[in-house]
Amino acid sequence: MDKSSSQRFDPLTRTWWLKHRFFKLYMVREATVLPLVFFILCLLAGFVSLLQGADSWQGWVAFMGSPIVLALNLLALAASLFHAATFFVLFPRVMPLRIAGHRLPDNMIVAGQWAGVLAVALLFFWLLGRA
Amino acid sequence: MSGDKIGTDNLNTKLISVKRYLPDRSTEPYWQSFELPVDDSTSLLDALNHIKEQLDSTLSYRWSCRMAICGSCGVMVNGIPKLGCKTFLRDYDGEIRIEPLAHFPVQRDLVVDMEIFLEHLAAVKPYLIDDNPVKPFDPAAPQTYQQSPAQLARYKQFANCINCGLCYSACPQFGLNPEFRGPAAIALAHRYNLDSRDHGKKQRMAELNRHEGVWSCTFVGFCSKVCPKHVDPAAAVNQGKVEAAKHTLIALFKG
Ligand code: SF4
Ligand code: FES
Repeated sequence: MDKSSSQRFDPLTRTWWLKHRFFKLYMVREATVLPLVFFILCLLAGFVSLLQGADSWQGWVAFMGSPIVLALNLLALAASLFHAATFFVLFPRVMPLRIAGHRLPDNMIVAGQWAGVLAVALLFFWLLGRA
Repeated sequence: MSGDKIGTDNLNTKLISVKRYLPDRSTEPYWQSFELPVDDSTSLLDALNHIKEQLDSTLSYRWSCRMAICGSCGVMVNGIPKLGCKTFLRDYDGEIRIEPLAHFPVQRDLVVDMEIFLEHLAAVKPYLIDDNPVKPFDPAAPQTYQQSPAQLARYKQFANCINCGLCYSACPQFGLNPEFRGPAAIALAHRYNLDSRDHGKKQRMAELNRHEGVWSCTFVGFCSKVCPKHVDPAAAVNQGKVEAAKHTLIALFKG
C-alpha cells in the first residue's frame, strides 16, 4: 500500500518561533548578538581614530558620549549579561565536571562562572582606576 | 495544578477541539469540538477514549500502556508536545486544542508516520558494540560485562528514553530539516558511547560528527523541556558536540 499518497504534512513556516513563549525566549537569546555587533563596531572605530591622531580621537570620545550611543551600549551590556546568564546555566549540562568520580553540582558551576565574571570586572575597574 | 485537593467528585465539563484528518473523505484537515464530562483524574487519553466510545467512533489515535512507558500516545496540546496519558485536563482552562505531533507526516487524525524517527534511531547503532576478542562464554573472561554503579550512573539518565518522539516535535531544526538525526537518536548514541561495556564510539562518531548529526543543533533546548522522562536530550546532543570536536582534533593530529 502506498501510504505516503494520503498523508498530509505541515511544513514549518518562517514564523515558527512566534508559536510560543519558549521559542521567543530562544530568539531573544540569539538576538543579543545584534547590540554586541554595534559595540564591537564602536570599539573598532575607536582604534582607527586612535591611529588617525588627536582630533579624530576627540571626535570619537564625543561620539561615544552622545546619549543614543550610550543607550545602545548599555543595551549591549544588558544583552551580554542576559546571554551570559542563559549560557552559564547550559554549561554544566554540556560539560558535566567530575572530581574524583563525583559530578559537581550544577549550581556550583554556575556560581563559579559568575565569580569569574566578577573577578575580570574587578580587575578592569582596578586597572582603569589606576590609569 | 488545580490546588490542594484532587478528587473524582469534582465533576465539570470541558471543551476539547481535535484536528481531524480523514484522507478517505477529504484531503483537508478540519477542527471538531467535543464537550465532555471530566473530573480531576481525567487524563487527555481518558478524554480521547471517551470521545471514541461515546461521541464519535471514527476518531483515530495511538495508545497502549496508559502509564507513560510505551511512548505511543504523543500529541500536541495547545501547541506543546505531550503524552496523552500523562496530561491531565485539570491543568487546563478553556478550550483545549489537540493536534497530531508536529514535524511528522500525518496519516489520519492524531496518528503520525514515525518512520523517519525509526530510521534515525537505527542509524546511530543504539546497541552495545563489543569488539572484545574474549567472548563472554569463555571461562577465562567471566567478568566481561560487569559494571560498577559509578559506571552505570554516567549514562543512566540517557537510557530512560521511551521513544515517544515528543522531542522531535519540539525541535525546530528537525522541523526545518527532517534529515537531522534529532534529539532522541543522538541521546541514545551518547548513552552507548558512555557505556563502559561498549566499543562502538568510533563507528557512531561517523554518524554524529556531521551536519545532520550533532552540528544541526543550535541548543534551542525545548526538546529537554518537553521530555516526559527527563532524559535531557539537549544535554546529550551538546555533550556529543564536545566529543565530536575532540574526535576531529584527534583525527587531525593522527593525520
Ligand atoms: S528523549 Fe524524551 S522526548 Fe525524546 S523520545 Fe526519548 S523520552 Fe521521548
Ligand atoms: S499510553 Fe503508553 S505512554 Fe501514554
